[in-house]
Amino acid sequence: MKVGAIALNTFKEAKRDRILYLLFFFAAGAIIFARILAMLTVGDRLKIVKDVGLAAISIFGILMAILMGTGLVYKEIDKKTIYTLLAKPIHRAQFLLGKFLGLVLTLFIMTGLMGLIFLGIVFAHSLRFEGRLLIAVLFIFLELILITAVAILFSSFSTPILSSIFSLSFALIGHLSWGLETLIKKLPSPAARAAARGLYAILPDLENFNFRTEVVYGLPIPPAIYLHATAYGLVYTAFILGLAVLVFRRRDFI
Amino acid sequence: MRRGAAPILLVLYLFAAAAGTMALKVATDRIPRARVPGSSIIYLPSGKYLKVATFGYNLLAADLIYLWSIQYYSNYEIKDRFAYLERIFTIISELDPRYTDPYEVGALIAVAEAQDPELALKILDMGLAKNPEQWVFPFEAGHIAQMTLKDFERAQRYYEKCLAIPGAPVFVSRLRANAMFKRGDLQTAWQTWLEIYDTATDDEVRKVASNHLYQVKAAIDSGDLAEAVKAFQTRYDRLPASLEDLLRTGIRSALPKDLDGQDYVYDPATGAVKAPTIPWKR
Repeated sequence: MKVGAIALNTFKEAKRDRILYLLFFFAAGAIIFARILAMLTVGDRLKIVKDVGLAAISIFGILMAILMGTGLVYKEIDKKTIYTLLAKPIHRAQFLLGKFLGLVLTLFIMTGLMGLIFLGIVFAHSLRFEGRLLIAVLFIFLELILITAVAILFSSFSTPILSSIFSLSFALIGHLSWGLETLIKKLPSPAARAAARGLYAILPDLENFNFRTEVVYGLPIPPAIYLHATAYGLVYTAFILGLAVLVFRRRDFI
Repeated sequence: MRRGAAPILLVLYLFAAAAGTMALKVATDRIPRARVPGSSIIYLPSGKYLKVATFGYNLLAADLIYLWSIQYYSNYEIKDRFAYLERIFTIISELDPRYTDPYEVGALIAVAEAQDPELALKILDMGLAKNPEQWVFPFEAGHIAQMTLKDFERAQRYYEKCLAIPGAPVFVSRLRANAMFKRGDLQTAWQTWLEIYDTATDDEVRKVASNHLYQVKAAIDSGDLAEAVKAFQTRYDRLPASLEDLLRTGIRSALPKDLDGQDYVYDPATGAVKAPTIPWKR
């Protein structure tokens, strides 16, 4: 109940944030621009529309999650509204969870709207509804949930600028961590290989949520991967939120 | 200043500033500047590194480089634009190996613009290696080998590769037979065209195969007759007056006829033997 109220208020607050609309405007612009960009190609124009559209949803979704998520807790502290909130019988974990869910709801609506525009543009180009593209959009949203949790974690102990840098680094590392597999194979020392394997297990692998190649080329996706990728995303999010609660509980606001 | 004039002046100022900016941009663009040949390409890292650097947006990066390459290779003012052709299309293939358009367009640019058919074959081989289910790559490679390089043996090998891929169109077997004919393997060409003729499901294909059979038979017979004419010339130090001279002198026991049962045409002035009909006009 308390979590729901905080989430709803966070959503209302996010709705009034200009940066949300600015990013949405750019995302919609990029998706629509894909159709114009496709005119420059020789060959399959639809492929360009799909690639640019999905990349725009992903990039602008990540920016929304980071830029809004990193300010959520900080704003409450900066404006001192946190004193009023925490003076009430609310657990700090409930506060963080409410903030997280509020932003997730906002991102769900934004991703949904971007997805609709994207599907509309694809339909205008091919005159057929390609429902499979929604798989890629859905997993982009799952990635955004994880990044939101990370942004809230950093926001619970750092300034918005530093939190944004840390969260963006997390997103970039998440898309690079697959490179460690190559490194593991090339490391001569067994100890170094074990250390690299440990690092590989800890670091996020956001490529688990990247189904863009499969949906664009119509490649088969093993059904088991849906469940595994979803479970991976949710468990990682729960872990990050747990860390955020741990840090936030130890913070002194006096 | 009159009240209300300030916003108008501000708007005018903004218009003037915007016009000035645009005019200056155009003027700056007109000034020729020295540039390092291929400078817009040489700093592009290899596809392997670029794939890491695109943070999972490798499909988007491949699209953008491909779009840029089309514009770049369409710019006839860049004289050295083909110097890095292979590099560019290798980068695209490393970023998005399944993207088939760049292999086809890259090969087309290599063969038609850069006049480098070997590079075109290299790009198409790369496409086939990464997309073994795409028959279009060996098909196009076979076409380049046959039409541009006139390397019919290579063309035949490409067509055979193409035919081994499910979904390859049936006309490729005809191109293969034609490549065999062109490289001089007349007996295999005859067998292949005969097989096409026997298995044809429509009259059009059967007619095409029949014309090719006529052409192959004419080539075999003309070759045999030319050799007999040569043997006559060696023996009598003159050209035969007619093909019947070959029978009379025992050089040939019989004279072949074309596929339609007509005699071959002999020119006593030159000793040339040719088919009485053009195969495509039968």
